[in-house]
Amino acid sequence: MTRRQALALLAVVGILIALYLTLYKIGVIGVLSCSIGSCETVNTSKWSMLLGIPIAEWGLAAYIALFGLAIAGSAEAREQSITIARLLVALAGFSVLVSAWLTYLELFVIHAICIWCLTSALLWVVILAVSVADLRAVSRGA
Amino acid sequence: MADKGVDRGRGRRPGVVNKQRGNSAQRFYVVLALIAVVGALVLIRAARTPKFTPVATTAPIIPAQAEGYLLGNPNAPVQVMEFADFECPACGNFSVITEPDVRTRIVNTGLASYRFFDFPLPMHKNTMAASNAAACAADQGKFWEMHDALFRNQPDWNTEATSEPKKIFLGYVKTLGLNTDAWEKCFDEQLHQNRILANQAEGSRRKVQSTPTFVIGTRMIPGALSYDQFKAYVDSATKEAASAPAAHADSTAAKSRTQ
Repeated sequence: MTRRQALALLAVVGILIALYLTLYKIGVIGVLSCSIGSCETVNTSKWSMLLGIPIAEWGLAAYIALFGLAIAGSAEAREQSITIARLLVALAGFSVLVSAWLTYLELFVIHAICIWCLTSALLWVVILAVSVADLRAVSRGA
Repeated sequence: MADKGVDRGRGRRPGVVNKQRGNSAQRFYVVLALIAVVGALVLIRAARTPKFTPVATTAPIIPAQAEGYLLGNPNAPVQVMEFADFECPACGNFSVITEPDVRTRIVNTGLASYRFFDFPLPMHKNTMAASNAAACAADQGKFWEMHDALFRNQPDWNTEATSEPKKIFLGYVKTLGLNTDAWEKCFDEQLHQNRILANQAEGSRRKVQSTPTFVIGTRMIPGALSYDQFKAYVDSATKEAASAPAAHADSTAAKSRTQ
């Protein structure tokens, strides 16, 4: 499995988490399965919306974009594309920053922890690490 | 592992590499599809899991001792009561997401009447003020408009947002076209405090433990319902009312006592 394929797999996991939180936010799922922390406090707080759109939906969009990039970059013709490698690092880097900000809000402003949001934040850190490794490999090859 | 794909052809015959690459890609897509399918199944299961367990009340219908705020035809076959706290996020979600459908498709069509009862919870510092704001809007015939504005804008005036919710409420008063002086006098003097406490007491009497809690016909259901669940409860209450005319007569008598 290539790094890009690994990124696509991580993106699918992220899509599922973001979809779960989105379905809760729009009322399809009644109660979040939340063994640790207080997911509902976080996901019903005023911080759970950005520009009128739930944070979960922004996350979903970011994961879908990551999935698209990773799949496109897995094709033989684009395996060595430095543009895709850079886009992957940019998307992952931006998402890590946003996740860090949201985690700060959870810990110090909302005073509640959402385990799904934390999982997503950690997932972005892993995605960033793999994206950076991919960019370095592609740069060496170029 | 990534380098295997990149290092294509070096020291190997192209046909062999292509075949290996094809197999690897195939395996990847199988794993991808597997994760997606399992994930989708888990999500579908979560969406289908019954969200709340209904609690049947002991008496078929307990006559109301507080009136709440009525919406719809008081003689509708099914009586619905909602006990809610204006500052509770789940109540806000229900009000914004589900209640518009309930009003259009259940209350306006005459299937059920709907009564809102304040059930302010002690940990919410601004909820009593919100109940007063709505009660004072009711004086000018705009309870439901204020109810909707309060729930829709909950994050703007809740305990976390401000310690002076009146300033925010005044914005809604102006938007709704209420007489500001009359509303302010009513709000400052807490003219409807007793009405709110009576609604709250009605909830306590019925052993409401969380918000929102609904009483639909003979059933008490805690938690924010989806429209489909709500409709299902109304449908079963309609059937119960039709098959037990005596109980229905009781409820009608109860209603007339509260008017």
